[in-house]
Amino acid sequence: MSSSPSALLSATFYEPGHDHLVELVHQRDGEARRRLASLAVELFDPAGASVHRRAVDPNQEILDLDTVAAPLVGSHGRLMVLFDARYDERIFPYRPHHYAYLHRRGASAPPLYYAVNAVLGGVPDRIGATGINNFESYLFSSSFSGRYSVMLGNVSRFAPARAQVFSYHGGARSVEEVLLPPKAHREIALAPEREGHRLDRVEVKALFRLASYVVGRHAAGGELMLFDHMFAYVKPT
Amino acid sequence: MTTPALPPDADALLLCYCTGLTVGALREACRAGRWPLPGLERTGKLCTGCLGDLLHCLRALGAPAEDPAPDG
Repeated sequence: MSSSPSALLSATFYEPGHDHLVELVHQRDGEARRRLASLAVELFDPAGASVHRRAVDPNQEILDLDTVAAPLVGSHGRLMVLFDARYDERIFPYRPHHYAYLHRRGASAPPLYYAVNAVLGGVPDRIGATGINNFESYLFSSSFSGRYSVMLGNVSRFAPARAQVFSYHGGARSVEEVLLPPKAHREIALAPEREGHRLDRVEVKALFRLASYVVGRHAAGGELMLFDHMFAYVKPT
Repeated sequence: MTTPALPPDADALLLCYCTGLTVGALREACRAGRWPLPGLERTGKLCTGCLGDLLHCLRALGAPAEDPAPDG
């Protein structure tokens, strides 16, 4: 067991007008509160420029993302938020997780509760996740009258990312190519229906893992109905 | 197209969150002709998130190219 801290970099996206609370450590034992060794939060505009970085007290359990990001978002519309955590693997033998509560203020739609996308680290060899995870997919199990999209972010320091976003409607596949400079992010719209077939799957393929979420919004009011990270592709055996 | 040199202040950056490799340790290993370091052979191939940066750094440091395909 290593004496140096383990590292995990997780990512989400912020849009204004939402209550967006991030549970920095998901406690499993009320009698034994677990703490990260350190945590830094950094926010990036869509072009990849850092707009804010701060250390967060590892004793803090909840981060009100709207309080941090609302003064910074300006005309960007969306910011990528990176959580750079260091932790002791004896305290988190699996790995820490950040979970978040997301709800547009005043909306009648129910709030969403999601796992923040772990992008770098989390020692996948130790937890047994040894499959390819830069091919990610999402299956749409139900349909609503709304707009779907994928949010993609490149968390690299130096390398641009070239990704392909495949959407499937029935047996038909369509693809969009996306190029993201370091720390840049984009929202890619997905057609909810093509030739009478509804959207049933989306895949993202890239040389390396990206921050990725699928998003569903109500057609009329734009309220979020879906905000979920994608899942690693599993090769059939 | 040439890969720009890595700035000296990049050395403290944690390049691989899975193996703990820093840019500085990679720079030193490449300078000494010792890359991949023992125990760090799977850098870039676990969560794969750092693979683009790893290849960028290896090019910038003049290391021989390696197979970018991750395990799995």
